[in-house]
Amino acid sequence: MDYSQAFAISVSGMAVETLRVETVAMNLANVYSARGAGGGLYQPQRVLSGPAVRFGDVMDAFRNTLAGVEVYEIASMNANDRMVYEPGHPAADSAGFVAYPGIEPVGEMIGLIEALRAYDANVMAFNAAKTMALRALEIGGGR
Amino acid sequence: MTMASIEAISGLSVAVPSRPDAENATPGPFVKWLEAEVSRTSAAVSEADLQLSRLASGQATSLHQVMLSLEDARMSMQLLVQVRNRLLDAYQEVIRMQV
Repeated sequence: MDYSQAFAISVSGMAVETLRVETVAMNLANVYSARGAGGGLYQPQRVLSGPAVRFGDVMDAFRNTLAGVEVYEIASMNANDRMVYEPGHPAADSAGFVAYPGIEPVGEMIGLIEALRAYDANVMAFNAAKTMALRALEIGGGR
Repeated sequence: MTMASIEAISGLSVAVPSRPDAENATPGPFVKWLEAEVSRTSAAVSEADLQLSRLASGQATSLHQVMLSLEDARMSMQLLVQVRNRLLDAYQEVIRMQV
């Protein structure tokens, strides 16, 4: 049915925004991680998403090339570490500075809000498609 | 009044179209479509059921995926119900026809 494609597109958007929120949560959880998993420092992550590519038949109807959105990769941000002077800290260097990941909590919160609104928009699009399908079922009824 | 006047019409051979055997009848395209749609709806409902029980038992797939399968099941159920309504309407119309 044609409405299930609109549903699937909206749901792919919701999946990407969910991943974005999880990534922001990961960043926020690691604001004070002085050490990373491999001994290095945790790097703030960003979700890179884009239109899902579907290599269909060239003769396909145009709408058949609509395939929603997909995550390309989760990439590390190129952020400078925050250096904090804490001489007694176990992870402090010889000068007494501790390196923390270059995460900006305010920027992360904005990313959180954006992802939330984008998720809302996807839900709205889903509901609109559902309303259209239900209206179509009302054609000819209710005499 | 003799029976002859009635018997006279017995000579008429009325060509009653023989009713095709129900078993031999090939289903029309609509019946095929309806069968396909019923099986699709059944599959959608059982898929939604599966997703719900997965969610309830904690093997959480994503929540929006569960909602998608629920809505999918609901939409195809609605379509079937509307088709049934139209069919029943047509049937009632035929039943009420004056002969």
